[in-house]
Formats: sequence, structure tokens, C-alpha cells
Amino acid sequence: MGGNLYHNKRAQWLTYLGAFVLLALVPLIVDNPFTLNQLARYSVYAMLAVSVSLVWGYGGILSLGQGIAFGLAAYGMGMTMQMQFQDPEYDPIPSFMLTNELESLPLLWEPFWSTTAGLILTLSVPTLFFVVFGALMFQARVAGVFVSIMTIAMLAAWYSMAYDMQPFTAGFNGISPPLPFSLGEFSFDPYGVPAYLVCVGFLAALTLGAKFLMHTKFGLIVQAIRDDAERARMLGYNVAAYQVTLFAISGFIAACAGLCWVMIVQYVSPTALEITLSIAMVVWAAVGGRLSLLGAIVGAFLVNGTQSYLGDELQQVWLLVLGAIFIAVVLLLPKGLAGLLELCLERLSSGKRSSDSRPDLAKEVAE
Amino acid sequence: MSVHDFWTPFSFLPFLNALFIGISLASIWLLAALGLTIIYGTMGVINLAHGEFLMLGAYSTFVFQSLLGLPFLVCLPLSFMVVATIGLLIERTIVRPLYARPLDTLLATWGLSLILIQGVRLIFGGEPQYVGVPEWLNFVLQASFISLSGLRIFIIVVAIALVALTWILLYRTRFGVMVRAVMEDKEMAQSFGVNASRVYALTFAYGAGLAGIAGGLFGAVKTLFPDMGSGYIVEAFLVVVVGGVQLVGTVISAGLLGELNSVFSYFTNDTFARFVLFTMVVVFLRFRPQGLISEGVTRR
Repeated sequence: MGGNLYHNKRAQWLTYLGAFVLLALVPLIVDNPFTLNQLARYSVYAMLAVSVSLVWGYGGILSLGQGIAFGLAAYGMGMTMQMQFQDPEYDPIPSFMLTNELESLPLLWEPFWSTTAGLILTLSVPTLFFVVFGALMFQARVAGVFVSIMTIAMLAAWYSMAYDMQPFTAGFNGISPPLPFSLGEFSFDPYGVPAYLVCVGFLAALTLGAKFLMHTKFGLIVQAIRDDAERARMLGYNVAAYQVTLFAISGFIAACAGLCWVMIVQYVSPTALEITLSIAMVVWAAVGGRLSLLGAIVGAFLVNGTQSYLGDELQQVWLLVLGAIFIAVVLLLPKGLAGLLELCLERLSSGKRSSDSRPDLAKEVAE
Repeated sequence: MSVHDFWTPFSFLPFLNALFIGISLASIWLLAALGLTIIYGTMGVINLAHGEFLMLGAYSTFVFQSLLGLPFLVCLPLSFMVVATIGLLIERTIVRPLYARPLDTLLATWGLSLILIQGVRLIFGGEPQYVGVPEWLNFVLQASFISLSGLRIFIIVVAIALVALTWILLYRTRFGVMVRAVMEDKEMAQSFGVNASRVYALTFAYGAGLAGIAGGLFGAVKTLFPDMGSGYIVEAFLVVVVGGVQLVGTVISAGLLGELNSVFSYFTNDTFARFVLFTMVVVFLRFRPQGLISEGVTRR
């Protein structure tokens, strides 16, 4: 007998694939552009939850700074889209810079004339930052809550930076590119099907990639480090290198989320770097189950979906409900909804086996 | 934006004034961090709702002052009592089951902070409230280059007094001995008959109460909003961690960070100073994760 279905790898892959196929087929039944855009936003949130699940659930690193990668990439994408609108000859400088008395385009913005360079920077800068920042932390063997505090401090630093560098980032107002993102001749309408499919595509590719990675040797070592870093070190593994790599991968996923986010909202402001957002990502992952990537995705959709539909009705008490749910999940369901499913399937399979397999076990023990 | 707008050149007297502002800032950060040091230091609990304890202190001071008409000096100890009681309840219900899972406390207390913010918003509304500054603090100390308001001086005095009180409590009383014993080795302390669960509950309540007083003072400096606490939480944590999660370390690191922040903002501006300071703290923790002063206690 196969035992608990939850741990069956083939069943897992089928569920993951099924979920993404369903998500990709949504535009066939939903033709309300607003709903579609809403679902695209949830997919972005889901990517963030996946990045948290990877680094925290699998790596044991509770990073409260995933917003750094998200925010940096969001700014990169915002700059790329803004420069797509500008004209090198007649209108070379974004209007908010003119109101900030900037006479020429800052050097920082120059590469974003090229969409390709802009996209590469959008994804590579946050990832590289996570490599450097991760190396800084993990080589010093910083662990546990100290990681949380250092990442939150770094996030707060970037937040105030985005706020303060008004001539470069438009400060509090943020950058709102006037036109949708376009690739070649094709323009991605934020409310259109292609933009939605790009978001779902990113989500599917990143999640499946991450899941595959967690089944490789790398994934096993990372989980071993989570369970006992000292033991892994004594076995000869370079713990810091594995942690930095995992941290950087999670940063890359969050950066992809930032890219998609600005594509579907056409706006970026320091709110992308707010502490509450980064903690909220952790909440989504925790509710859905941090040890399961799909669980984290479900958590992101569920929390945000309830927030949009219930939140309008119960605006006054929604945060009370969310806070209470969250405390309850942490206290009663440390593995989130995915853990609940695991438990149910366990009951199911052990119920089936109890008649024949338990005596076997007893016999083995006796022998 | 030219370089000159951004960079203020050095001149002696304004710089000295910046140093005095630094002391005032340090006293505020110290007050915000004091309760956190006690809670984190004793239990290893990352209390993300600490900012909301400050907020509750501010609002209870507001209630005692505006609705009951009590004098400011009476409101502060009453705020201590109110927030300490709330802290005790929270410790018994939410924090206690999670002592073995410190990362999860961080999450649970964040859920708690959502509830506290929204609860206060439902009761008092989202509009700003004010704590009145008493008459006798309405003066400004003006020496040639320094100018500090009476309230700021009062805050510095209260900060010093609370540190002294906490020091006496921790190092000169029987209860303090028990707290330090539990901090160092919980099982060993228990085997000598210390009721660790009770020590935890009382220390948590005391730390929350300190935040209550601090919040009352912050309410007098700034306007009251239900989410005012989030403005202090990051700084408070950095002060605690840089100090090495220990009373004297917290005092030193609050002084140091407050002064550095004030000096940086003198040369540049407030937000940029914050960026530089936070980055420096991250780099500092890389090289000295145990903080400025470490007692060699088991790290959590």
C-alpha cells in the first residue's frame, strides 16, 4: 500500500499541474476584466508566498525582507515602463523629475532606455542584492530571529531610501507609467488575458521549478540545514553557501513577483517596501502551510480573496478577524491548511491500513 | 538637487544642538526599547505587538486625562497598570503556548497587533487624538545654542528613572535574582524551586507596563493614531539587539544610535540618516551578532 497520499510524489506533481492548468483556464469562464486583474494580483501574492515558503518553510530562515526584492524589482519595472513612454528627442525626462528640478536624466535611469536591459536589471539587481546580503548574514552564522531582525532593518532602510530619493523615485507619490508594458509591438493591457497568463505562467514556472529543486539533493541538504545546521556543518556541508543560494532563489522569485506586479497595476510606490507587506507574505505562507509550496499559494489566494470580498462588507472588523485567524493558525495549525490536509489523508490511509499493516509492524518490531 | 542642498556643512553651534537633539531621541528610543529588552531578554520572545503596547499606553493616558480629567503625572502610572494587565492576559493566552517556538511568537504577536490596532480604531475612531502637555512642562530651555522643550527634558528624566528602577528590580531584589536565574538556565532555576511560569508572566507584564508609560509620553510628543506603534517597533528592536539584549547594553546602544541618527540627519536629512543607520546596524550585527555587551548567556 502507498501509505499517506499526501506524501505520494506522483500525486503531488499531479495536484500542482492540475492547479496551474485550472488557473490558466480561468479566462475561458471569467470575462470580467476587473476580476481577471484581481486574480492576476493574487497570483503575484502567491509568488511572494512561494518565496517565503521556500526560504522559511524549507530553509528555516524567517526572512521579513522579501519585500526588498519585490520592491526593487517593482521599481526596476516601473522605470522600464516609464522609459518606454519617454522619447529620447522630444521628451527625454519623466515629468516628476522636472518638478523636482532635475535637468537631465540621472545616470541610474539611463540603462532603462532599453527594455531588455531594463528587464535584466529588474531581475538581476534584487537577486544579486540577496546574494550579497545573504552572504553577509549567513557567513557570520546569523540565524533564527536575528535574521528576521536584520532583514526587517534592511527593508526599513530601503523603504526610507525610496521615500527620500524623490528626484529619482518620485518619493511618496511613486511612479505611474502612463502606458501599459509593451514588448516589441505587443502591449500588455493590465486588464487583459495576456497579462494574466504571464502572471500565472511565472507563478507556475517558479513554483514547479522550486518544487523540483526541493526534490533534488540540494533541496534535501537545505532541509537538513533547517533541522540542524550544526549537524549539517559537521557532515562537511558548506552551510552558508546553501543558505545564500536558497535566499537568493527566494529573492529571485520575489523579484519576478515585483516585475509582474507593476505590469498589472502600472504603478509603483514605497508601499511595495512597507514592512506590513513583507509580514503579510509570511502570513499567507503560514495560513496555507509553509512546508508546502502549493499550500502557500492557496494561502495567498484565500487570505487575499477573503479580504477583497469579505473585506468590503466587514471593513470594520476584517482586521480583527484576520488577526484572530492568524493567531489561531499559529497556535493550533503550525503547518497551516496543508498540514490539516496531511492529517486528514493520514487518518484516511491509516484507517484503511489499520486492519492489516499494524500487525506487520508489530511483527517486525517483535523480530 | 545639488550636492549643497543635500549636504549641510559643519558648523559648531548647530552641530552641538544636533547632539542635544540626539540625547532626546535616544531617550525616546530607550523608553520604547526598555520593555522589549526585558521581554526579549527573559523569554526570548520577539513581541511584534510591542509597538501596540506603546499605542495602548498612549490611548489609556488619553482616556485618563481627557475623559476622567486626571493630572498627567497620575495618568502615567495608571497607564502602566492598564497595559501591564493587558500584557499579563496576553502572556497567559497567546504567548505561553509558544515559548518553545520563538519564530512562531513573532507571527502570533503580529496577528495580535492587528487586533489591537483595529480594536482601538473601532473604539476611538481613526481620527487623531491628543494628550495634553501639562502647564508645568510648558517651558523651553534656551541656552545660547540649545533649545529643548520641557517635555523633552521630562522624557529624558523619566527614561533615566525607569532604567534605574528596572536595574534595582533586576539586580537588587529577590524577584530580580529569580528573573536572572530563569534567563540563564530555566531548568536549573526551576529545580531550585523558582516558579518559571510565574516569573515569565510577571516579567512580560512589567515589560508591557514600561511600554505603557513610554506610550503615554510619546502621546504627549506626537498625535495619537491607532497605528502609531509601527513607527517605533523597528528602532526599538535594533536598539535591543545592538545592545546585546541586556539592560546596560540597551542604554548604551540607545544613546549611540540616537546620537548617530541625529548627527547623520544634521549633515543630510532624516530619512537618509535612517537609511545609513539601519545599514550600519545590519553590518554591525554581521560582525558582532552578540551585540555591544554580551553577558555570555545562552543565545536564543
